[in-house]
Amino acid sequence: MNIRGARILGAPRDAVFAAICDPDTLLAVIPGCRAIEKVDDAEYRAEITLRLPGVVGTYRTVVRLDDADAPHRGVLQGEVEGPLGSIRGQATFRLAETDTGTTVDYEGQATIGGPLARLDSRFVEGLAGSLIGQGLANLDEQLQRERTAVIAVDGHESHEEATG
Amino acid sequence: MTVSDYFLPRSLPEALDLIGTHGPELLVMAGGTVAMPLINDGLSLPRAVMGLRRTGLDRVAQLDGWLHVGATATLTQLQEQRAVPLLSEAASATASWSVRNMGTVGGNLFTPPPGGDIAVALLALDTNVTLAGPKGERTLPLADFFTGFMTTSLTDDELVTALSVPLPSGSTAYTKFGRKQGNTPAVVTVAVRLTWDADRIVDARIALGAVGPHPIRARAAERGLLGTTLDPDARAAAATAATAECEPFTDAIATDWYRRRMVGVVVARTLEKLAAGATREDR
Repeated sequence: MNIRGARILGAPRDAVFAAICDPDTLLAVIPGCRAIEKVDDAEYRAEITLRLPGVVGTYRTVVRLDDADAPHRGVLQGEVEGPLGSIRGQATFRLAETDTGTTVDYEGQATIGGPLARLDSRFVEGLAGSLIGQGLANLDEQLQRERTAVIAVDGHESHEEATG
Repeated sequence: MTVSDYFLPRSLPEALDLIGTHGPELLVMAGGTVAMPLINDGLSLPRAVMGLRRTGLDRVAQLDGWLHVGATATLTQLQEQRAVPLLSEAASATASWSVRNMGTVGGNLFTPPPGGDIAVALLALDTNVTLAGPKGERTLPLADFFTGFMTTSLTDDELVTALSVPLPSGSTAYTKFGRKQGNTPAVVTVAVRLTWDADRIVDARIALGAVGPHPIRARAAERGLLGTTLDPDARAAAATAATAECEPFTDAIATDWYRRRMVGVVVARTLEKLAAGATREDR
């Protein structure tokens, strides 16, 4: 299975990188994430429950952030295990500053095991892409909210101006 | 692992309570035409299942210029209503009698492409979808309901309860193009609704199915039709625009290349039907 994509987030690169390393933010933005625990500086364990058409289940997830070069890039090694099998893989992400925020580029490969592997790869790839997209959209929303709150507290701009 | 609990709630509040009690691991099933094949194949292993067939959400009624379709109304019920011909056409082009007798309109929204043809017609009709949860009801345009491949804006504690379709004025047309005449997944599905002022188009909807992560609107093609008389040039331009803006995929039915080519052909043919006045009953 191959995954790749990109999205522009409306926040500075440092804030985006910090958010990716913050368990509370991850809990709030990962679709279906019910619990997350930081095992050490680089490893997270999470429990994700997904209610999909015709299929429900809880997936235990372990993710390691290797080769982190904050705030430019990182490599995620991960494993997802659930009732229908497992997905093991790695993904590289890169953060680049733009005029309006930060571009997140990601690319990864994974191996699917168990009954899941019997499905057309379009389903697992399509769903993974869709969930990553939703997670990044949630992250963008959260970063915008935090930024608006900071501006309002600093009093440089009124809340109305900051939110447009 | 086999299903150990099957719940058959008799009302919407009872169904919402069951979701509250069992959480997102409760498999919600309406007609079962998506879930049951997955369960039988060992690709879905739910412990608890809730069937919605007895919740009373299956009414189809016309009221104040709207057609209200309950989420668990079957595709056969949709096929038999006469208020919105586009929906009857879409329902009769979906699967077989036996599947239409079980499959529901609400459930069809969750059928991954190339399935989910009903939503293509519903999108062209500017349908609203009503969701109910513990905090009450909310209604949103169907176009905002789909968020990605197999994902929607439905939260884990909500259910789709109804679809509200404004009775269309103007003209509509529907084409499902598959590898055979009937009971077949789509290569591409096209639904069009045009509103006219004399001989000029003032509003256009073109919805496409099986050529994106979910049913989509061809917005550039729609814009290109405004102010035109649906002349051959306008039809060709709309077909070209739709070809460019779709996001087709490859599966056992067709390649992405073939699907993209067929978007142009089928959009052009559907607009031709409308230009010929085949279904311009209200113009």
